[in-house]
Amino acid sequence: MAYSNKVLDHYNNPRNVGSMDKSDPNVGTGMVGAPECGDVMKLQVKVNPETGVIEDAKFKTFGCGSAIASSSLATEWLRGKTVDEALEIKNTDIVNELSLPPVKIHCSVLAEDAIKAAINDYKTKSATKVEALASK
Amino acid sequence: MSANRTCWQCAQSIGASLFCPHCKSLQPPPSGYYTLFGLDRKLNLNTNELQQRFYDLSRQLHPDRFMRKSEAERQYSLDASSILNDAYRALKDPVKRAQYVLSQEGFEIGEQRSKDVPPELLEEVFELNMALEEMRSGDDSARPQLESAQNNFTNTLNEVDRQLEAQFRTYDESSNREVLTRIRGTLNRRKYIQNLLDEVQDQLAVGAQ
Repeated sequence: MAYSNKVLDHYNNPRNVGSMDKSDPNVGTGMVGAPECGDVMKLQVKVNPETGVIEDAKFKTFGCGSAIASSSLATEWLRGKTVDEALEIKNTDIVNELSLPPVKIHCSVLAEDAIKAAINDYKTKSATKVEALASK
Repeated sequence: MSANRTCWQCAQSIGASLFCPHCKSLQPPPSGYYTLFGLDRKLNLNTNELQQRFYDLSRQLHPDRFMRKSEAERQYSLDASSILNDAYRALKDPVKRAQYVLSQEGFEIGEQRSKDVPPELLEEVFELNMALEEMRSGDDSARPQLESAQNNFTNTLNEVDRQLEAQFRTYDESSNREVLTRIRGTLNRRKYIQNLLDEVQDQLAVGAQ
């Protein structure tokens, strides 16, 4: 199957590969996987607690070219968005941008799941932080 | 399932039989792989017995035997032979057999969302992948590490298979859906470990050239 040029570009030059400190209260981590294809995807966001804007996003994906491209693209899109804007990213946006064929749509779903998981992790963390402050 | 089937030819009750006990005509193949083999739906199967039944049924249902029979029977023998082959392929392999039973019980197999996968498993697989990547980026000196990873993955896979067998027994005794959920989890883990093992072996094969 032929990959689109955009997929190849992200695959050959993945953006924002890496990881951030999981224990940092401003970092949200999402780890998702698709057992059928053996993919695992870790996506992290670093949020400015004052503004709610995502200042940095990193990912590391073990999987096919489309899974890598989907998560690479996701980190590009996440930077500069607020956490609420980030939750509006849909897998179909990724499908369209990368021209993913039907058999690879699940890769974009995985990326959307990873975004949601990372944001939810951040939100859970900051909620407990607020509670901790309030109980002081 | 097929308790109320009647013969298409003589309208007598036939139960789950492939041939009418009264007029001996071949019947439309029953749906369900276990029913076709005349087996109870157990996850632990005696594969020797399964193979014997497969040979017997293949002979009984073979299209050559129906050349001079009615159009209907000729068609049933073609249908049944084709289903029999699919059924044997699915049932002889423990993993495919479990996937079949899971799908019959309404579990989704192909398109699982990540929420069905426990976070500890993802964590484990991610770490194993990281370790593997580190080895790969090295040169030939990574070979001993890869070989030990190969051993570890093989051992883990054997362990997973033993676990699967035990879970099969538990399900066969209890028919508890909860056990099927656990079995699906074990199948997921197995798939991940198998992929990692394949990768290590590819890597070792490249290095050996």
